Order: sequence, then C-alpha cells, then structure tokens
Amino acid sequence: MNVDDESSNRTRTGNLAVHLDGITKRFPGVIANDDVDFEVESGTIHALIGENGAGKTTLMNVLYGLYEPTEGSVWIHGERREFDGPRDAMEAGIGMIHQHFMLVDTMTVAENVVLGDEPTKWGGLATDRKKAIEETKALAKQYGFDLDPTKRIQDISVGEQQRVEILKTLYRGSDILILDEPTAVLTPQEVDGLFGILEELIAEGKTIIFITHKLSEALHAADDISVLRDGELVDTVSAENASREDLARMMVGRDVLLEVDKPDVERGNPILEVEEVTVEDERGVTVVDGVDFSVHEGEVIGIAGVDGNGQSELVETITGLQTPSDGSITFDGTEITDVSRADRIGMGMAYIAEDRQKRSLVMEYELRRNGILGCQRLPEFSNGWRIDWESAEDYVDDVIDEYDVRPPDPSAEAHSLSGGNQQKFIVGREFERDPSLVIASQPTRGVDIGSIEFIHDRLLDLRADGKGVLLVSSKLEEVRRLSDRIAVMYDGDIVGIVDPADVTEEELGLLMAGERPTGMDVDSARVRRRESA
Amino acid sequence: MSRLPTSIGAALDRLVDASPVERIVISIASLLFAVAVGAVLVLVSGFVTECDDPFVLLPGVGYGCYNPLEVYWTMLEGAFGSSSGLGRTLQETTLLLFTGLSVAVAFRAGLFNIGTQGQMVLGALATALVVLELGQLVPQNVVGMVIVIPVGIAAGALAGGIWGMIPGLMKAYADAHEVITTIMLNFIATGVALYLVQNHVGDLTSDSVLTETIPSVARFPTSISDSRFSMYALIGALLVAVGISLLYTRTILGYELRTSGIQETAAEYSGVNAKRNIVTSMTLSGALGGVAGAIYVMMVQYRWQSGIPALGFDGIAVSILAGNNPIGVIPASLLFGGLKSGSVAIDLSLGVPNELVDVLRGLIILFIAMPEFFRMLGKWSGFGSDPVGASGGEEA
Repeated sequence: MNVDDESSNRTRTGNLAVHLDGITKRFPGVIANDDVDFEVESGTIHALIGENGAGKTTLMNVLYGLYEPTEGSVWIHGERREFDGPRDAMEAGIGMIHQHFMLVDTMTVAENVVLGDEPTKWGGLATDRKKAIEETKALAKQYGFDLDPTKRIQDISVGEQQRVEILKTLYRGSDILILDEPTAVLTPQEVDGLFGILEELIAEGKTIIFITHKLSEALHAADDISVLRDGELVDTVSAENASREDLARMMVGRDVLLEVDKPDVERGNPILEVEEVTVEDERGVTVVDGVDFSVHEGEVIGIAGVDGNGQSELVETITGLQTPSDGSITFDGTEITDVSRADRIGMGMAYIAEDRQKRSLVMEYELRRNGILGCQRLPEFSNGWRIDWESAEDYVDDVIDEYDVRPPDPSAEAHSLSGGNQQKFIVGREFERDPSLVIASQPTRGVDIGSIEFIHDRLLDLRADGKGVLLVSSKLEEVRRLSDRIAVMYDGDIVGIVDPADVTEEELGLLMAGERPTGMDVDSARVRRRESA
Repeated sequence: MSRLPTSIGAALDRLVDASPVERIVISIASLLFAVAVGAVLVLVSGFVTECDDPFVLLPGVGYGCYNPLEVYWTMLEGAFGSSSGLGRTLQETTLLLFTGLSVAVAFRAGLFNIGTQGQMVLGALATALVVLELGQLVPQNVVGMVIVIPVGIAAGALAGGIWGMIPGLMKAYADAHEVITTIMLNFIATGVALYLVQNHVGDLTSDSVLTETIPSVARFPTSISDSRFSMYALIGALLVAVGISLLYTRTILGYELRTSGIQETAAEYSGVNAKRNIVTSMTLSGALGGVAGAIYVMMVQYRWQSGIPALGFDGIAVSILAGNNPIGVIPASLLFGGLKSGSVAIDLSLGVPNELVDVLRGLIILFIAMPEFFRMLGKWSGFGSDPVGASGGEEA
C-alpha cells in the first residue's frame, strides 16, 4: 500500500500531477472505491489496471468530475480541487478519452476538434471553419499526428478517430489525459501507433493515465502501474520492476495460470462439416469463397485471421443468420444449409456472437429476460407457447452464480452491466444449456484476465466432454493456446489448416497476410493457384 | 448528469427508484395538487367575467362568478352521479380502453403507433358497412345479435389490422419510421372514408356525410338506462387488457414480438423472423384500433358519421399515463373517461366556459402524467440507483 516507498526509488522530478487522497466512492449497497490513494507523477505514463468491476473507471470518473467522491480529496498539481462536473475538470487541465468515442460522424475532423469551443467570426455569429482547420492542422503537426482535418469522421479508421479524440482534449488545453481502455478497439498496428503518440505527448510535457486490463500493454507502455482490486488500491509499482505474473497476482488476488493446460481428448465424429460454402454480401461481392472444413467432437478448431477477411460472414452463415449462395453445411449428420436459425438452436448449436450488444443481448432487457434469448422455444423453458419463467429464473440464477456475473441481480438490465460481465453472462447462457456445438466468436473480447482464464477453462471442459468448438478470435495467442487445429482465413478463403504445435507466430502471421511460409505444406487450392499464376 | 444541480439529480434518482406503491401515492398526490391549482384558476377566472348570480364578493376586487367546489362537484356528479352520466363515463372508458391498448401493444413492442385514429376510422366504417348488409340477412332477435355483433367486431379488427399492417410492412422492409407513416396514414384514412361515404356507400340522400343507421341486431344491448353503454363491451375490453398483459409477460409470442421491436438484430440472433414480427405487432395494434371503431359504431353512434372523436389520439395519452402497461390502461382510461363525461355536465349546467373545463382536464392529466414522464426521462438519461457504478463502471 505504501506508495511513497516505491516512487522514492526512482530518479524523477517527483512533482505530482494528480493526487487522489483517500478517495472512497459508495453507491447504494456497494463501495466502488475504498480509501484509494492514487498518485501520478508529472510527465509520466501511468497505467491503471484491474479486473472488470475493480473500480478503475469509477476512480477516473471521480478525477474527471463525473462523480463526487463520498470521502477524500482531489489534488491537481499540488492544489486541492473540487469539481462540480467535467467542465471544471477540463478547466483544471484534465481531459478524458472515453472508450466509446464521442464524435459526430457526419462532421469533419476539424469541426469535431473545435466543437463546443469553436473559433468564431462576424462577432460570434458564425463558426470560422478556415481557422478551425488551420488550428487543427497546427495542433496535429505539433504532436506528429497524421490526420486530414477536412475528412469526415465516418470516413476515417477507428485509430484515426481516437487521435481526433486526443486532439479534442489537447485543443482544450489539457495537460493530464485520461484514456479509458484505449486499445480495446484498435488493431495491433494501431496500438503501436497509439503508444508512439503517448510518447510524443510525454515529450511535450503532458501526463497520461490509461486504464487497461491488458498486462503486456501496461508493462510495455507505462512508467508506473497502479493495480486496483475490489475497489482498493493494491499497489503502485514501476513498470521496470514488475513482471506479468506479479501484476496478474495483484489483480486477481491469487496465482493465475497464464498457460492453459490442455489435456488430450480423443477426437470423435465430425459434428460440423462445411463444404464449399460461398457467401455474397448485399452488393453481390463474394466475401466467403468456397470454404471447406470440419469440426469433430472433442475438438477445438480455431479460425485465425485479420478482422474483415470473411470470418464474421462465415460464422453467421453457419449459425443461420446469413444464407450461403453456394455450398452445404452439415451439423451432426443432418444437412442444415436451409434449416432456420431457430431449428439450429434446437439441434444444440450454441453461439457467442462477436457483437454482444447488438446480437447476443437485448440491452433493455433484464438478465432474467436475456437468459432465455435464443432458448425461448427450447422445451426446458416453454411448452410451445407459454414461457416457464420459474425454470428460466432458476437457469439465470445458476448462470449468474456459476459465471460470477456482477452485479448478481437477475433484474438488472443488460446495459447496466460492464462489458466483461455481459460477456460472462452470455458465455454462461450458451454453455450451460448443454450444446453439442459451440461457435464462439471473440469470446474474450473486452474481458478481464481472471474471466478469460475462466472462459478458456470452460471451453476446454466442453471439448473434454466431447463437444465441438469453433473458435474465432483475433487474438492469436488465444487461438494458438486453445485450438487443436487452426484454420487461417484470408480474403474469404481458408488459406491453410495447421497444427498449432507445428507453427510459429511468424508463420501464422504470413498465412494471415495471404503468403505461404517457406517450407510449409499448405492445404489450400487458393494459395497454390496464386503461386502457379 | 452532474450538470444539473444535485438536488434535482437526487429528486430524479428517487423518482426513478420509486416502488409501485410509491408511484400510486405520487399519482394521487398529483391529482390532489392538480385539483388545488385548478381551483385557484377557476376562482380567479370568475373575477374577470360577468354574470347575473355571483357567488362571492371580494371588496376592492369585484364579484366572483365561479365556485370551484361547485365546479368539481358538478364534474364528479356528472361523471358518476346519474345513470346517464355513469353510462357516458363507462362508454368513453370502454372506447379509450381499446385505443389505449392499441397504442400500448405497439409501445410494448418498441413501436410507436400514432395511427390508432386512422385505424379506428376505417375499422368503424368497415363495421358499419358489414353490419348494414348482414343485419338484413339474419333473424331480428338474439340469435341475429350473436351473429352480427361478433362479425361486426371482426370486420373492424380486420380493417384496422390491415391499416396497421401497412406501416408495419414499410417499417420492416423499407426502413420507413412508423411515426411518420402512421401520421400520414391517419389523413389518408379519413380522406378515403369521407370519399367512400359521401360518394358511394353512404346515405346519399342526406346532406351530412353519414351511412344509414345500423339495425337493432347490430347494436350492443344497453346495460344502463338513458345510455347506450353496454357491459358486454366493457367486459370484453377488460378481458383484452388482461390478455395482452399475459401475452407480453407469459408467452413466447409476446417475448418475441417485444424483442423484435426493441432490438431487431438480437431477435434474429434468437432465431426469430424479426421483420415479420414487427408487421405482426403493428397489425395487432391496428386491429385493436379497428375494434375501438367497431364498438363506437355498434355501441355509441349506430352509424358511421363524419367527425369521429379523436379517441385514437386520446389513446396515446392514456397509454403514456399507464406507463404503457396494459393493466395500467384500465384506471387511466377510467380517469380520462370520467373527466370527459364530467366536463360535459359542467358545460350543460354551470355556464362555465368550455375552454376553462378543458384547461381543468388538461391540468389533471398533465399533473398525473408528469411524474411518470419525468420518470421515463430520468431513467432514459441514466438516473436512479446505478448498477454501472456498483460494478465499478468498467467499459460502461
């Protein structure tokens, strides 16, 4: 707990940009932050890590003036401040970049940057667009951002949008920037770009706090790391002296197995066979091009690939949400190419959708109602027309209990849960009804490390029980660790099916980029075709 | 959220978290408060008008013409004090139950049907035409009644249902927002009905735009003397309210209809044809509007006549007042029905101007609806006990 000891080891200025002194924040029935002392040295990058529900965002919302602390005080650059809202915090030089961007899609970069604080002309009657563009350009240049101020937000990438958010806070003169899970929405390349930008900002004398639950990012990018657990600050350590294992233990409160122990399971009959499946999108463009593969009982097939290479469409076709233009799908010996989604669910197909807030949950429904989403016609929960709410509620209680969903309240509405808890709930709902095939698309996206371990274990339990698992993930580590075979998708086709033990990360990367690694025998007509051409 | 002064924020928190009992208490308190404010208004208006028989003289101010207590008493007595008054009240209540339920059904399914009025107008016309034809073919006794009235209701439901299905189809398959399309279809419905009645199917000998009077086998048997009100219609309406409540709380169909309206993508995920369900919800809503029209023809007007009252629009207010809860629609329509019927009595007996009575009615509805409205607003903007905060608010 003693923060001063740690920081005295370092040779730094020692000036505190932020000092949260004994912050306690209570919500009805819950203490989200419990006497937290949090100090950030001026001119450093400070990572705030912890599991879902550890109180990271609450603490930052206190700093940003969104919440008033129940107890404790906020000191900025050695001065005690009381914020009556984010506007006050902004005036004190604090800027926050939320995980979900607050940008106007139809407006240009420059317009978004100056929004709310626009340069005006004609005595304040009109926005001076030219000046807005110039100022945005100058600011972007100063910090080395590569942005075109005249482009519309809807036309630029997520990484660029994040840079616009950062520029927005800089435009308002912030010198302390809070980033809430900044890497959650970025591709690996964009993550590197972001860390470059953070370095740049530090060089300009800014102070940065970023929230994350990815240990490697904290270790890689931060100078100091503070760990929160159950609302309490466990410790603040310098990144140089910390290891992944230490941090994981501090976060979870016990030893975490970062490696998954995968027992041998006998491979059974094929449960899912996909043959020559071709899918076209609304404009008639082929997005999945003659894909062949099969999943056997007691086997995890991982699909790796850069997002947008047809994985989503393939998964939606298998689960019955899209119709293939060609090819056939066989599930448990029955051809299901033309079988409805409802019947596929009835046959024992579980599906964790990639976009949980759009597909797997009705955000306005309580957990009780979400608990039967997709299973509403299964005999466990209904007699054909009437819902058996009693057994539905029992089921939901079990899921909440078994999968540690917080808050453990079946009448909480889905939107009020954090992303990680939403995901745990969905995983629980889909796994607990004893499916014969699980299609898990990005099952651990946005989930904390303790829950990832849990979800991985459950997936392997299903495998050990002789179920088939189709895992789609953009996390290469995850796919490698869990899969018995990895199918790599590139440009709508499976360019190779490989054994994770026989392949290095580099080789997988090459496959994902559509290249054939030297010396590797790839079972793909497409790659061969291209090589012979 | 914290831009608001904390006291207002705290009040909103409390409102959002109010228990059902507290909400009823709030509603009753609002009613009393509205009555008090209305009383002051009536009293003050009495001083700025002239009359033969003032009830009070304030030295230096002048004569006061209206006695608020008398106004309220007349209203109450007019609504419930006589058999004709009670009949009028229950008649309004029955019709508002159907239009209110029509709006509530759509609302529950995440759809905003503003078109109940048009669905009612066309439902009424269909009923009138069908019973005019059918009434001549059946025996003129109870047997005839048992045949004609249900067929009349079915005809209204069918016409209203089709008129509701149109915006449903446009929403599901062409992304046209139902608020816009239903409003436009209201105008079209009235126009079509007027055209047909005036030029083809109406009583062409009459100067007014109306159909022939429907035969007595097509009229609901009256239950209260001096009134056309029928208990059968009211009981039917109450059963429909209970049925709809059960539909949404207990059945798979209700669950799927609601899911489809609220979040189409999640409905598809759960194996439901969301687009078809949106059409179903709108059709059901329209059918209830059509039934309101059928009851209006067979219990109130005994013919189709231009100038059908705006019961469809009142249904929106009834549904909102009831928090879109089908059971809540019952007391809400009784309140609306009573106010409407009571204000007729004031018109007739007290000489208090019509407009002032409308203001009183408006005040009561406004005051009762406001807490519920703020509750919805508060809930929508994230007030109330905060489970996000409770879980630490990660990624919220």
